[in-house]
Amino acid sequence: MGTEERRQELLKALKEGVVEYEEDQVEEAAKAVVEEGFNAYDAVMNGLAAGMEVVGDLYDKQEYFVPELLMCADALYVGLDILKPHISLEDLGDKPKGQVVIGTIQGDVHDIGKNIIKMMFDVAGFTVHDLGRDVPLEKFVEEQLRTDSEIVALSAMMTTTMMGMKKVVEMIKEKNPNVAIMLGGAPVTKETADLFGADGYAESAGNAVQEAIKMITRLREMQ
Amino acid sequence: MNQDEKARIIFQPSGRRGQVHKGLTVTEASRQLGVDIESLCGEKKVCGKCKIRIEEGFFEKFGITSSKDHASPWQKEEEKFINEEQRAAGYRLGCCAKVEADLLIFVPEESRAGKQVVSKAARDIQIQWNPAVKVYYVEVVPPTFENPLGDLERILDELNREYGLKDLDIDYFALQKLPMRLRDNNRWKLTVAVWNDKEIIRVLPGKVEAYYGMAIDVGTTTVAGYLCNLATMEVIDTVSMMNPQCKYGEDVMSRITYHMMHEDGLRKMSADMIEGLNTLLAKACEATHPPKEKKRGKDEQEADIVPEAAEALEEEEKTCLHLNPNDIVDMTIVGNTAMHHILLQLNPEFVGLAPFPPVIHKGLDIKARDLGLHTNQSSYVHVLPNEAGFVGADNVGVLISEEPYKKDEIQLIIDIGTNGELVLGNKDKLISSSCATGPALEGAQLSYGMRAAPGAIERIKIDPETHEVDYKVIGRDAWKQYSKPEEMKTKGICGSGILDVLAELYRSGVLLKSGKFNPEQKSSRYRKNANNDQPEFVIAWANETSIGQDVVITQKDIRQIQLAKGALYCGCKLMMRRMGIDKVDKVKIAGAFGTHVDREKALIMGLFPDCDVEKIISVGNAAGDGARAALLNREKRVEANWVARNVEYIELTVEKDFEKQFMQAMHIPHMKDKFPHLKDLVPEEVLNQK
Repeated sequence: MGTEERRQELLKALKEGVVEYEEDQVEEAAKAVVEEGFNAYDAVMNGLAAGMEVVGDLYDKQEYFVPELLMCADALYVGLDILKPHISLEDLGDKPKGQVVIGTIQGDVHDIGKNIIKMMFDVAGFTVHDLGRDVPLEKFVEEQLRTDSEIVALSAMMTTTMMGMKKVVEMIKEKNPNVAIMLGGAPVTKETADLFGADGYAESAGNAVQEAIKMITRLREMQ
Repeated sequence: MNQDEKARIIFQPSGRRGQVHKGLTVTEASRQLGVDIESLCGEKKVCGKCKIRIEEGFFEKFGITSSKDHASPWQKEEEKFINEEQRAAGYRLGCCAKVEADLLIFVPEESRAGKQVVSKAARDIQIQWNPAVKVYYVEVVPPTFENPLGDLERILDELNREYGLKDLDIDYFALQKLPMRLRDNNRWKLTVAVWNDKEIIRVLPGKVEAYYGMAIDVGTTTVAGYLCNLATMEVIDTVSMMNPQCKYGEDVMSRITYHMMHEDGLRKMSADMIEGLNTLLAKACEATHPPKEKKRGKDEQEADIVPEAAEALEEEEKTCLHLNPNDIVDMTIVGNTAMHHILLQLNPEFVGLAPFPPVIHKGLDIKARDLGLHTNQSSYVHVLPNEAGFVGADNVGVLISEEPYKKDEIQLIIDIGTNGELVLGNKDKLISSSCATGPALEGAQLSYGMRAAPGAIERIKIDPETHEVDYKVIGRDAWKQYSKPEEMKTKGICGSGILDVLAELYRSGVLLKSGKFNPEQKSSRYRKNANNDQPEFVIAWANETSIGQDVVITQKDIRQIQLAKGALYCGCKLMMRRMGIDKVDKVKIAGAFGTHVDREKALIMGLFPDCDVEKIISVGNAAGDGARAALLNREKRVEANWVARNVEYIELTVEKDFEKQFMQAMHIPHMKDKFPHLKDLVPEEVLNQK
C-alpha cells in the first residue's frame, strides 16, 4: 500500500498529464496506481477528471481550442483504459451513475463534438451507449428502451439535420416521459432546445464540455 | 421602457450584429454596429434615403424573433417616402424607427452608404467562339402568285439553302413577330437568332450583327453577372449584388432549413432571387445607355472615399449600346447545388441530409419566361450541371474554366466561399470535395468582420520587433503609416484582410502556432476585454475609425478563422492522400476574393499544405468565368455534363482519421506538417516553435 504522499504525487501526475496532453506521463502514472495498489476510482475522479476540469476552464477562457481539447482527450483515454478495469463495484456502490444513449442524428456525419461529450460521460462513470453518427431517428428510441438509459444526448452539426431532433424528442417522450434529453451541436440554440421540448442544452462543443464538466464536478462533490 | 436594456439587432445583407440600447433609432444602431445607412438630411426625417425593411418572424439561424412591433410606432414623416404597400412589407425610415426589441433589418442596396467593391471581375480566359445562340442574316424573295409560300417556310428554306440549317422550330412568340418584321420597310431582310441549331428565338428586321447574352454566378453571398456580346465575346459589363436570400440565413444550410420550416419558403426564396436577377439584368442594360443626370447628393457625399473619377472616365468610353433586357437572348447560370435547387424551386431538403444527393446532375435548358426572367421572351436559360450535393454547378464552372482535366500537371483548386470546394487531379483522374468553412473567411461572424466596402481593412502588416500594426483600407491608397489617423475612416476587416491578419499575427509572434496569444507581448495592443475578460488585439485604434471604437480581433475570432482554414487544409491533405501524392504542381485559389489573396499570406496561415510560393496562383472568380465560357461556347456545356459526372466526389468527414487531421490542421500553419517553403518568409524561431 502506498502512502498518502505517493497518492497525491500520482494524482498530480495524472491531472497534469491530461492538462498538458502528455500521454506517456498519464500512462506511467496510471500504471503506477494499479501496480502500487491505489484506488483506481479515486485516480479517475481526482486525477483524470480533475485534469479535464482544468482543461474545460482553459477552453472557456479560449486558451485551449479544439485541437488541444482533443489531445487532452487522447491522454485521458490512455489513463482511463488502464484504470477502468480496476474500478471495483464497491467504489461505484451508491455513487451516482447512469446510462446515456448518445449519437449524431440522421443525415449528419459530423461527430467531433459528440465524441467529446461521450468522453465526458465516460469520465463521469456513466455507461455510454454510443450509436455513432448518421443514426436513424427510431434507433435512439429503441436503444433507450433497450438499455433503460436515463439520458439521451443528441448531436447535430447542421441546421438541416437539427430538425430531426424534434421528432426524436417527441418519439422518446411519448414512450417514456421521464428520460432527460440533451441537445447539442453548432446550430442548436437555447430557443430551439426549448422549442423542441428538450430538457438540457449545450451551446456548442465547448459549452457542452462545460456542462459535462459541471456534471462531473457535481458528481465529485456528491461522493 | 428601460433605456438601459439592450436588444439584439442583425443587419442584412452585411450580417453585422450586436446588442444596442433600446430607444436608439435604427440609423443610430447601424452606426454602432458599423453598418452604413444613407442619411443625406442628417436624420431630420426629410430625405427619405434611409429606407430599411424590418423582417417578420422567427429566424432559427440567429435565434431571434423580429417584428414590426419591435420598433417604435409609425411616424407621419414616413408617409411621404413609404407607400402603403411598402409599409405593409415592413419598410420604415431608419431615422424614425426606434429599437424596442430584437430586430432583423434588411438594408436595401439604395440605402447603403458604402457600395461594395466588386471583386468578381471578369478575367481573360481563352474561350472558343461557338455560342448556343447564333444569328443568321437572310434575304428572301417576296411571295408571288407563283410562289405564295408562308413566311416561316420561306425563311426556313433560305436558312437551309444558305446555312444548311434543317428542321428548325420557331418559338411561338417569335413567330407572332415574324410577319411584320419580315415586311419592315418592305425589305424582306431578316436577322434570325437560332438556339442550338434547333429553334428560332428571335427575328429582327435587317442586318444586325451584335447580340447579347448574360452569364450569372449565383453565390451564397454575392451574385455576379457578366453581360457579353455574343458575336465578339467581349464582356460589356460586370454587375453584382448581394444575394437577396441572405436574410433567410448566411449559409446554404440555413436557407435549406428556412424551406423546411416555412411552407412557402422555397417559393419565396426563389422569387427573391428571380427578382434580384431581373434587377441585375436591368442594371447591366441601364449602364449601356448614356448616363442620366447625376443622382443628387449621393455622388458628392462619397467623392472623398471612392475614386469615382476613374470610373466616370470608363463610363464615357463605353459605347452607348442602348440595350434593354429584351436584347439578351441567352443566359447561363452557375451556383452551388443549394442555390441551383432553390432558384429552380427543386426541393433542396435532401441536399442537406447525408448522403446529400442532388435532385439532378445534368445541365438544364429552361425557357427564361418559365422562370420569370425578363430576358428575351423566347430565349432559354442554361443552368449548368451539379457534381454532388455539396459541389454544384459553380464548381463545374471552375472546372470548365480551369480545365485541369486537360493537363498533365496535378492541380489543386481551392474555391473559397461560404462553402469551400476543392478539386484535385489532372487528365487521368479528378476528385472533388467540399468543406464547411463557414462565412468567417468572408468577414462575416467576426467581431469586426465586414464585406469588401470602403473602410474595410484589406491588407495588414505587423512589425515583429514592436508589434505595431500598419494597414490599408479599401477606398484609400495610402497605408496608415502615411496617413493621419482621421483619414483612415476604418470600419472593420474584410475577407482578404482576414487572411492577412492570421498570417501576420503568427509571423510577428503575437500569436503562437496553437492560435493562442503569445504570453510575451510587445505592445499595448494586446489586452483583456474589460467586459468579458477575453484576450483581444487592437488592429485600429478608435481615432482611426469612423465607428468611434477600436477595431480588434478577439481570441474567439481567431478560433473561427482557425476552424475555417483547418477545414480547407484538412480537405486538401486528405484528398492528396487519396490520390497517393504528397505534393501538387499547382495550387489555384478561386473565389470572390480570389484575386485579392496574397499568396504568401495564404501559405503562411496554412490554407493548404506546403508548396513553392511560385506555384500558387489566384484565379479570381473562376465559377463566373466558367458560366461565361458556357455562354460563349456551347461545347463547354457538353464538357460540363461530362466533367460533372466524371469527377469523383469524396465525402471527407467520413474518412477514418478526419477528426485528427482536422484538429492538426487548425494550428498555424499546421501542428505537425513541415513547411520548408516558409523558411525565408517566417522567422526561424516562429516557424520551429514547439
